[in-house]
Amino acid sequence: MFPFKLPPQILRLVLVALAIVGSYFVARSFLTPPTFGQYGWYRGDALQLIASREPVFAGKQSCDECHSDIIHKLEKDAHKTLSCEGCHGVSREHGNNPNILPVKSTGNYCIRCHEANLARPAWLKQIVVKDHYGPKCIECHVPHQPTKTP
Amino acid sequence: MGSAFAGLLTASAARTAKAAVQNVFASTSAPKGYDPTKHKWLMCIDDNKCIGCGLCAETCKKENGVPEGPYFRTWIERYIIPKPKPGSGQTRGEAIVDSPNGGIPKDGAPAFPEPTLPKDQIEHAFFVPKLCNLCENPPCVQVCPVGATFRAPDGAVLIDPKYCIGCAFCVQACPYGARFLNPVTKTAEKCTLCYHRITRGLKPACVEICPAEARIFGDLNNLHADDPIQKFYEKNRVQVLKPHLGTEPRVLYAALDKEVR
Repeated sequence: MFPFKLPPQILRLVLVALAIVGSYFVARSFLTPPTFGQYGWYRGDALQLIASREPVFAGKQSCDECHSDIIHKLEKDAHKTLSCEGCHGVSREHGNNPNILPVKSTGNYCIRCHEANLARPAWLKQIVVKDHYGPKCIECHVPHQPTKTP
Repeated sequence: MGSAFAGLLTASAARTAKAAVQNVFASTSAPKGYDPTKHKWLMCIDDNKCIGCGLCAETCKKENGVPEGPYFRTWIERYIIPKPKPGSGQTRGEAIVDSPNGGIPKDGAPAFPEPTLPKDQIEHAFFVPKLCNLCENPPCVQVCPVGATFRAPDGAVLIDPKYCIGCAFCVQACPYGARFLNPVTKTAEKCTLCYHRITRGLKPACVEICPAEARIFGDLNNLHADDPIQKFYEKNRVQVLKPHLGTEPRVLYAALDKEVR
């Protein structure tokens, strides 16, 4: 066996194997996103991608910038937990440009929560609309101060 | 000299090609300065307070651009527990659960119609808001064959929309039914905790809009004095959905009935 001589077919096999492994590593370096593995076994950039969506609802804080008087009133009464956009609709555009008015609320928004339903908790004031005065809530109730009358 | 120059040229060409390939995956305008490792989000639901108005479900659809139809990232279920049949020896009847249109009122009609059972046969009824349970051990992540869904370090279970192939294994795997296939993008979708809002310091849309403060949201890593989450813990006895599955949800419920699944 001496001197040892590597059989040529083995050398060829080794070269082919090296080429396969090498091309795998080249392809891997090309195709793996740069942020893969930043936080775990996934693309770190995906978090950025999901977060890049623009918010739709502005939130009570942005309403407070101009309408703090109404929010102050609201906060003193039973409707203090309500969010402005729950009744007035999406108001982000209105915040950027006061000339674009938010959707005006109607009586339907009162009924949405206060129509009697067996599954509603007992602490919530509920009415059967057809036995009540009908859906003309704001004739007798002030939505921002529900315990007061107009 | 010539070969060195050629080598340099090849190297720079390779770098350009690599950048071009990776640019396909590059992200767009996202809020800067948000570090997911510094937060631990938690959602709490006080079921005593849910009035079943459906604003959370409706808001979620608008905020996240969820298509029309039976697709919901969060929804409200109504549980009706009937009285037991006389002589059956049971303590209560079998729960009737419904969630018409996810609890969103349609065309001015109330979302939840009068139950078909007569009133005197109903023991009690209540609403339960549902959403992704933000499991510590999410079954949906385990089954994804392409690794598109993952659990971010801040606790949100998210889907990489560029990796998702829409096979819907995760939809089947989720024990809470929180996932669906978006018919427009053909990828799986779920509650992201309004990731685009919480990374900008806003509350998730459902939490923002809930008129009864039934949903409480907070950051366990940055608790401040009199944090609503702390108060929720102190006031209530909390539980999670399907604890026997070992998924360890991070959505905590207070005042839940045993029938709720």
